[in-house]
Amino acid sequence: MTQHRDPLTAAAISRRAWLDSIGRGLASTALLGLLAESSSAAAALDPLAPHPPHFPATADRVIFLYSTGGVSHVDTFDFKPQLFADHGKSITASRWLNKPGAFERFLIKPRWGFKPYGRSGTRVSDLFPAIGGVIDDLCILNAMHCDSDGHDKGTLAAHTGSAQFARPSHGAWVSYGLGTENENLPSFVVVAPAAPYAGAQTWGSDFLPGCHQGTHVCPSAEPLPNLKSLASQPAIQRLELDLLARINSAHLHKRDGDGALAARLRSFQTAFGMQREAPEVFDFSGETEETLRLYGLERGATQGFGWQCLVARRLAERGVRFVELIDVGSSNNWDSHGNMADHEKLARAIDQPIAGLITDLKRRGMLERTLVVWTSEFGRTSFHQTADHPGREHHNLVFSSWMAGGGIKGGLVHGKSDEHGILPVDGAVHTHDLHATMLAALGVDHERLTFRHAGRDYRLTDVAGRVVREILRTTPG
Amino acid sequence: MHRKRCQPPFAEPTLASQGSGGKWWLAPFSPVVGLAILFVAADPSPAADDDFFESRIRPLLVARCQSCHSTATGKTSGGLALDSQQGWASGGDSGAAIVPGDSEGSLLLRAVKHGDGVSAMPPEDSGPPLTPSEIDDLATWISSGAVDPRVLEARIGGMAREAAESWWSFSPPSAAMPPDVSEPSLVNNDIDRFIVAALQTRGLPSAALADRRTLLRRATLDLTGLPPTPAEIRDFLEDTAADAWERVVDRLLASPAYGERWGRHWLDVARYADTAGDGADYPVREAGSYRDWVIRAFNADMPYDAFLARQIAGDILAREAQPSDYADLVTATGFLAVGKRYGYAPNSDFQHLDFADCIDSLGRSVLGLSLGCARCHDHKYDPVTASDYYALYGILQSTTWAFPGGEEQKRPANFPGLVPPEEAARLDREKAEALAILDRELTERAREKMALEGRSFAGGVDLDLEAQEIGTGPNAKPWLSAGPNAVLGEAQSPWQHVHPAGTRGVRVGTGQPNEGVRHTFDDRLTAIAGAPLHVCFDFRTIPSAAADQPTGACRFYIGRGVIESTAIDLSATQREFALRDGDGWRVVTPLEPGRWYHVSVTLDHAAKTGSGSITPFPEAGQSPEPISFADVKLPASWDGVIDTFICDGLGALGGPATIRDIDNVGRQAAPLPLPGAPPAVKPLPPADASERLALVGKEVEALAARRKAIADSPAYPVAYGVSEGTPTDARIQGRGEPDKPGAEVQRRFLEILGGDRLADPAAGSGRRDLAAWLTRRENPLTARVMVNRIWQWHFGRGLVATTSDFGVRGEAPSHPELLDWLAVHFMDSGWKVKDLHRLIMHSHTYRQSAEGATAAVAADPDNLWLARWPRRALDAETLRDTILSTSGLLDRSSPPPHPFPAVDTWAFTIHQPFHGPHDHYESDRRSVYLMMQRNRRHPFLALFDGADPNQSVAVRDATITPTQSLFLMNSPLVHRAGTAFAERILAAASDRDSRLRTAATLAWGREPDADELAGMDDFLARVMSETPGTPERDAWGALARVILTANPFLFVD
Repeated sequence: MTQHRDPLTAAAISRRAWLDSIGRGLASTALLGLLAESSSAAAALDPLAPHPPHFPATADRVIFLYSTGGVSHVDTFDFKPQLFADHGKSITASRWLNKPGAFERFLIKPRWGFKPYGRSGTRVSDLFPAIGGVIDDLCILNAMHCDSDGHDKGTLAAHTGSAQFARPSHGAWVSYGLGTENENLPSFVVVAPAAPYAGAQTWGSDFLPGCHQGTHVCPSAEPLPNLKSLASQPAIQRLELDLLARINSAHLHKRDGDGALAARLRSFQTAFGMQREAPEVFDFSGETEETLRLYGLERGATQGFGWQCLVARRLAERGVRFVELIDVGSSNNWDSHGNMADHEKLARAIDQPIAGLITDLKRRGMLERTLVVWTSEFGRTSFHQTADHPGREHHNLVFSSWMAGGGIKGGLVHGKSDEHGILPVDGAVHTHDLHATMLAALGVDHERLTFRHAGRDYRLTDVAGRVVREILRTTPG
Repeated sequence: MHRKRCQPPFAEPTLASQGSGGKWWLAPFSPVVGLAILFVAADPSPAADDDFFESRIRPLLVARCQSCHSTATGKTSGGLALDSQQGWASGGDSGAAIVPGDSEGSLLLRAVKHGDGVSAMPPEDSGPPLTPSEIDDLATWISSGAVDPRVLEARIGGMAREAAESWWSFSPPSAAMPPDVSEPSLVNNDIDRFIVAALQTRGLPSAALADRRTLLRRATLDLTGLPPTPAEIRDFLEDTAADAWERVVDRLLASPAYGERWGRHWLDVARYADTAGDGADYPVREAGSYRDWVIRAFNADMPYDAFLARQIAGDILAREAQPSDYADLVTATGFLAVGKRYGYAPNSDFQHLDFADCIDSLGRSVLGLSLGCARCHDHKYDPVTASDYYALYGILQSTTWAFPGGEEQKRPANFPGLVPPEEAARLDREKAEALAILDRELTERAREKMALEGRSFAGGVDLDLEAQEIGTGPNAKPWLSAGPNAVLGEAQSPWQHVHPAGTRGVRVGTGQPNEGVRHTFDDRLTAIAGAPLHVCFDFRTIPSAAADQPTGACRFYIGRGVIESTAIDLSATQREFALRDGDGWRVVTPLEPGRWYHVSVTLDHAAKTGSGSITPFPEAGQSPEPISFADVKLPASWDGVIDTFICDGLGALGGPATIRDIDNVGRQAAPLPLPGAPPAVKPLPPADASERLALVGKEVEALAARRKAIADSPAYPVAYGVSEGTPTDARIQGRGEPDKPGAEVQRRFLEILGGDRLADPAAGSGRRDLAAWLTRRENPLTARVMVNRIWQWHFGRGLVATTSDFGVRGEAPSHPELLDWLAVHFMDSGWKVKDLHRLIMHSHTYRQSAEGATAAVAADPDNLWLARWPRRALDAETLRDTILSTSGLLDRSSPPPHPFPAVDTWAFTIHQPFHGPHDHYESDRRSVYLMMQRNRRHPFLALFDGADPNQSVAVRDATITPTQSLFLMNSPLVHRAGTAFAERILAAASDRDSRLRTAATLAWGREPDADELAGMDDFLARVMSETPGTPERDAWGALARVILTANPFLFVD
């Protein structure tokens, strides 16, 4: 067995010791029917029990929105009047299709107009009118950049900090660092109709303990596996669990309160709680028509980004630490090489749901403590081989993301690209910086959230990362 | 190799004189193999300089620089450390920070002065800039030679050389005498002496022996991953012989289930999966053969040194082995190939990442070293340098890797054959001959068909151009058109000596260079020795005004496939005709735009020469006057087949190609009629043509099916493994990026373990030497690492807890003498794994009860000292296999290959990756045979902490989660097994008590105790009373689920 470390203090905890503490806490209470109550000793050492952060957090949880395929920044959040003016003019690009060199290319103006929104007057393209409506809650990052312009590498980098090797997902790191507030639900939930590039690696726990891996919820009538009792009558399952508890408790008593035995005993009670509580997450019958409308959702629908966003709010309400929503999978996505017109229907599918989510979180007082992040693996070129080319290629040197809630300054635009949206000019934010900033909002120092694996202390931010303090309402740490 | 050296205070930096000459300290990597830095502070420098450094410079560096630039604290921003002389001399990512004697040329000074081209230091958020006097001090110090007493001792990678050489795991193991122990009852063999001695030192009492039922369940699950049967339990309980236990161990080791269980352990380490793991995650049909080889090797008790050597160099060893061993030896190299792949095509731009995976996995699995950490720079902690890494990298680079298929090249390639090369060549030949025979038959049928259709000359009537629609490009098969092309009446050629007078030809527009028209012939015309092939076509260039005259040339390609095997390329600008002759173009004749030409070529495959003529269409009344050409050198690569004609824009000259008309393309084995011959006449088809055509059609269908079957089935089986490539040394890659090449490193092995070079670098990749080096007795790591793994797989924790890390960041061994003793014993006994099992399992230590003395539990809660058996949960595979086995559902037949889609349908991309829906690959066979997909893990294995195949897994970090319990409560598997188990129980006995006893014996390996029996009785009664009408079978099914998911089942005492 490996030695476990408290994720935030790096103090070594013996696995056996924490399991034993659970055991000793439970062995005596097991037969008294107190199993549903989590003992404080267990809670203190359970890998999923909530941990206090390094420093005061401004967010308790994350909702991470991911648009697969590479969303064009100059057509969405990065307004470039000069690009409109210089349409068709030639430039010399220093990279093309992942190769350095000097390439004569032609600037192509966005197909969509931009309008100012909100008190901040931030311009957003006509692809996202509803998001425009909540612009004063958003901080747009217009000088994002990442290391790879390949889909699977870019997707992995956005999720794990590593474009190359298998590493734990950001959600797994957050689960490991902070635990979860609701033991009846997984700490890290990914709601996605299809896997993005790189598949399940994007939400894997890799070398972190498996309990931190993302639980994949597939929008459908049965979003989570094994939630429904297959027993012919509900009473039978209750009897089964009673007998199980009786056998396990007696077994445990004869074995000096072995912690692992106790943990399994307890986990059945938790599972039973999950069986009861998790379906409630997906049951929208208590939501008003007005709320459903806010998310652009038909009553009875069990898929679509509106459904995903409402599930995210309901998970966040129930204390799930990290929720990720992925809009589309690795095909028919934002990868508009052939025709940028494809952005239109993809934007329409997420615009109202995202705006609805922000609005709903805000009016429920949850946005204050919920960090919402939106990104894609990279942006798209503002230029192409011919001036009339209808598509755009991958562009990782600069692109747009945004953050909202959870201690982020709203109505702000941070970072600036050049006049044609090709290179960062100011306020560049690397993927590592985004991760560092997410962790900072959660009260976690990205340099101190480490895990010892194969002789090295690993971090989500590898050996880099800078907290973008400029966009935080308070200075962390 | 300690060297002491005087450091002259005011000279060129002494380090510069080291290495291959020149300023190596400016280069990011040292060409001095293995010795990153070799200096120890020696003669003191003049006191004045020391004083200046101590009073002005050291405090300044500490206060303003070292919080971000220090090796000691581990934070070296930009790769730069300023807490040692070597730190600033070797510098960071931008090179040396200080050039002694040249303050203006030193990056450090430019940075603190906020100069151009460097990041201003210290950064803004780290406080104010340095004061002018501080900057002056730095300048003074650098100008006078940058005397710095903070010189580090000699190092290899992350360790001082001396410390590295004396590090416990780098010295060969030596077998100490097992200690004497006063209590003989606790000692069954020498292992116990070490364990008990360590316990007694700590005052910890050993546990008593476990009872026989517990022992049998423990040993059976441990060695086979399956539960003991009631008969096996009875036999052992009744066996009163003194060696009953030893015979149980022997019986279990002889079971085929042993290899399935212990092979799986090795597959964790070997990062086994059935798919390649790049974005498209191609399936690998042959991976399973490596898995099966591992299982067989464990069952056969293959000595570990041979086991390793075959996995690293089996293909090379196979050359000298018995032919019957050839296939197994090549299959074994799957160990190297089966890692996570990154490339889109063979030898892609990402192959360095494949190698990174391989080196890292090899290091961790065999040596217990994280060699992968030396990819971007020397290892931070262990004595492994980047040179070490790239020395091994060269070995992998000299190897040819089976390519599983990927985004760009969607078919597998370079899979080594499982038969010796001569045999492979013979089988290849046989296959080629079989195909050639079929091809000939197909060709004959095609000719017959053409004859029946009245097209039996020169490849058919005008190659079906006559059948194309006027006004668009020739789009109907067998033509293909891309670009501004059109079939036009005015493009009909006036020549009639090959094809009868027609009504249309094709006008090919300028288009893009790779646009044009293509014709694929019905049949493959293959050259037979001595008989050349004949091709002809007519063309004319279309005149244009001089100003608009296209500058480029079109190309006429003749050969096999789409530029797969070129027979000849001919070329035409608007005014000039040329052909490719060897490496260059030969101009044959000027052209008159608008005039038709007939080109006739004779191609001799044997001689690889061509000849022929081009004839302008004569004025009325004139005779044709051919312009001949001969001795045209054809490409050596032409394989003698002609089945394709292409006209595109890739001719002798670049730029827009001339617009041209093409007509009357012909091709045949017999010589073609020459210009001036009488007009061709379309022959009349015979009367019974339609019946005979139908017959020929059927024959063609049958022949084509046979051909496809032969072509699709490999001539011999292949392995997902490696073979020898071109021996070559690698260059160090700066930051692990191939586009930042540094010095070349000769292939060799780790410096700290001798640094042995290859015996003959030109002879091969070096894998054979690598295998020998890894498995030689003097290698201090290989045996230690493996005995420790085996210990861990038995006890759940290694004597070294970090089983894949024996470096400085790993844990120290709990019982170093025992580890060494086992390693020596292991090598002495011929690296026999089964002997090691016997030794371990015969020990008292192994046979202890899981119930330790209370004092021992309290004093050693982690059970580091083994004062009791470490109870643990069943791992993922054992859990599933045991549920299936106990309920009677387990299928023990040998697994067929995974039902992957047929290879000729593979079109997986990162957008549409291979996605094996798991239920398509499900079976009730043992879990080791489940399809392991890298990018979509098996849901059950992932849930229960199975190995992640993306990396070498040393220890499975077991978790206990509610989602697992949900699976145990509600999954179809558990319910199906519960139902089957209930039927088994009901059939086994007729009374309730016997049934309950049988159930517990099957599932828990023991009888239920009184309380358990009472609980089960009560359960059945309550089901009947609280859910009236529940069939008995359902009640027992529910009880069976409880028995299969209760802790006495899930845990091993």
